[in-house]
Amino acid sequence: MKTFKLILPLVIFFLQTKFLFPQSALEIVNKAQDLLYAKSSYVEMTMTIVKPNWQRKLGMKVWALEPDYAMIYITEPARDKGTVTLKRKNEIWNYLPSVQKIIKIPPSMMNQSWMGSDFTNDDLVRSSSYKDDYTHNLIGSEKIGEYDCYKIESIPKPNAGIVWSKVISYISKNGFMQLKSEFYDEDGKLIKNFNGSEIKKVGGRTIPTRWEMIPLDKPGNKTIIEYQKIEFNINIKESFFSQQNMTRVR
Amino acid sequence: MKLYLKLAWRNIWRNKRRTIIAASSIFFAILLAIFTRSLQHGSYDYMIDSAVRLYTGYLQIHGKGYWEERTLEKSIEANEEFINKIEKTKFVEIAVPRLENFMLISSNNITKVASVIGIDPEKENQMTRLKEKLVAGRYLNDYDEGILISEGLARLLNVQTGDSVILYGQGIYGITAAVISPIIGIVKFALPDLNNSFVYLPIRFGQNLFSMENKITTISVMLNNPKKIDEVEIELKKLANNESEIMRWEDMMPELVQGIQLDSVSGMIMLLILYLVIAFGILGTVMMMTAERTKEFGILISIGVKKSKLILITTIESVSIALIGGLLGVLFSIPVVYYFHNNPIRFTGELEEISLKFGVEPILPLSIDPGIFVAQAFIVFFIALLSSIYPLNFIRKLKPVEAMRL
Repeated sequence: MKTFKLILPLVIFFLQTKFLFPQSALEIVNKAQDLLYAKSSYVEMTMTIVKPNWQRKLGMKVWALEPDYAMIYITEPARDKGTVTLKRKNEIWNYLPSVQKIIKIPPSMMNQSWMGSDFTNDDLVRSSSYKDDYTHNLIGSEKIGEYDCYKIESIPKPNAGIVWSKVISYISKNGFMQLKSEFYDEDGKLIKNFNGSEIKKVGGRTIPTRWEMIPLDKPGNKTIIEYQKIEFNINIKESFFSQQNMTRVR
Repeated sequence: MKLYLKLAWRNIWRNKRRTIIAASSIFFAILLAIFTRSLQHGSYDYMIDSAVRLYTGYLQIHGKGYWEERTLEKSIEANEEFINKIEKTKFVEIAVPRLENFMLISSNNITKVASVIGIDPEKENQMTRLKEKLVAGRYLNDYDEGILISEGLARLLNVQTGDSVILYGQGIYGITAAVISPIIGIVKFALPDLNNSFVYLPIRFGQNLFSMENKITTISVMLNNPKKIDEVEIELKKLANNESEIMRWEDMMPELVQGIQLDSVSGMIMLLILYLVIAFGILGTVMMMTAERTKEFGILISIGVKKSKLILITTIESVSIALIGGLLGVLFSIPVVYYFHNNPIRFTGELEEISLKFGVEPILPLSIDPGIFVAQAFIVFFIALLSSIYPLNFIRKLKPVEAMRL
């Protein structure tokens, strides 16, 4: 009896934390982020830029060392092949094989689109942290395709400098995959959808390998990213991300 | 009625000096008002012409949505025949095709952002007199594969003619556009904005660089009669297909429109003061005349002339004087304004230097818009009529007995 009295609260406490209460929103977001995050990574991917009356497909290899360094080597189309973009902290250089020159992108051009995509140069260097720049609330569950998902509302913290009024994300209960995010502007209007699909096991993790960014305010526009190959936690040093190396990577 | 006209006419010339003073006050008033307004309008027209000649043209044809987005995807066909048709349109002076883009321009390790403009060198020179802005090197020809760089930009990049720079940006559909290009010439603009960012190259070279065979972004249209802009716009709308849109200079340069509106308001205030001076001048003359003739009016009324008839006669008198002064004023102002329209007033000193720096002649041309003459004549004539209310009232209240005692 005595032992029972001692154990019971422990049991109850244990039950409460593990089973009675679902996990906190922050925990879910952490797990979803950890799934996609690695200190270093190597990715082979294609980016398809779809506009109302044309589209363009870019193939690229990306080496990254979080949070400050990335090197992007363009493999297709033929005309752009060999173009290299280097990101170090908040600076960007481009290497142009056709003129064999490295050009630093001046601050005034940071808002220009990168390689004609819906991403700007600034998007490449701005390290906004989804985890830390928002306060997260679990607001329900919803089914996305065949996956049961947590529905999480994220409100930006006042000083984070984020343009969205809120972001609603759907994270699968099984595997913590972020299958869908909705971005709302200051008027509470849905502006952008970000969807993940084609779930596969790559680089030892099960993740969506196809992402679509659909700006709802620009009909006929979207950007599709597809991963062909991912390696997490590769052996790569800061010295790899140098201007000398831009002309050498393949 | 004929009798009253005759009476009035004789009345006017009974006192020549008085009439001449009154009429000439109106005459000079109209002359001054017309001259002032014509000078204002003339300088606006000249300002607009200089401003649109600098770049946009009075009208511009470009792809639908190009003005907002400035993307190469919104370009239009460079159709020689279409441009010729535009130039054949009545009142069109010239149609200038361009291919505009933003690029990075880089030399050694300095990189700047530049407005890169593909031009038809011959036509561009006819419109913007680009050749005259050359300070080093030579002007472009159609087949050059090099650039003209603005002087400020060359200074920032530390390059001269004969050096090469790298142009780097995006062609159509985000394709990478990069080329090493020699500097053929250096052009100097007075406006720092242009002088630190403009780069010119031949349209062909630009089309190859941006991978856009036979495309241009804009056609700027200059008019030899800016007043006919509405008619030309209608004509061009007939010529253009539904891929393109036509924009007027007012929409392309709203700040110029606002500047002119602001200046026009201050001009109006000036005119208002002028009108006040005119009004009191005329009123003064009329009061003098009335005072002089008080005794005469008194006698006329006491021998049985109806007040209403007397009022009618004096009204005809005032109108006639106003008409004489007014018509002479307008007639006289026409040759004066024409003379200054054809031989504009040149200003000197500091203003002259500023003007020349901007490539604008230091002159004050006068406008010969007939609307100005008509409007000013009407306004002054109306003021004259208003002043003639005074004697009417005076006669209406006149007591003949008192009047004759004066």
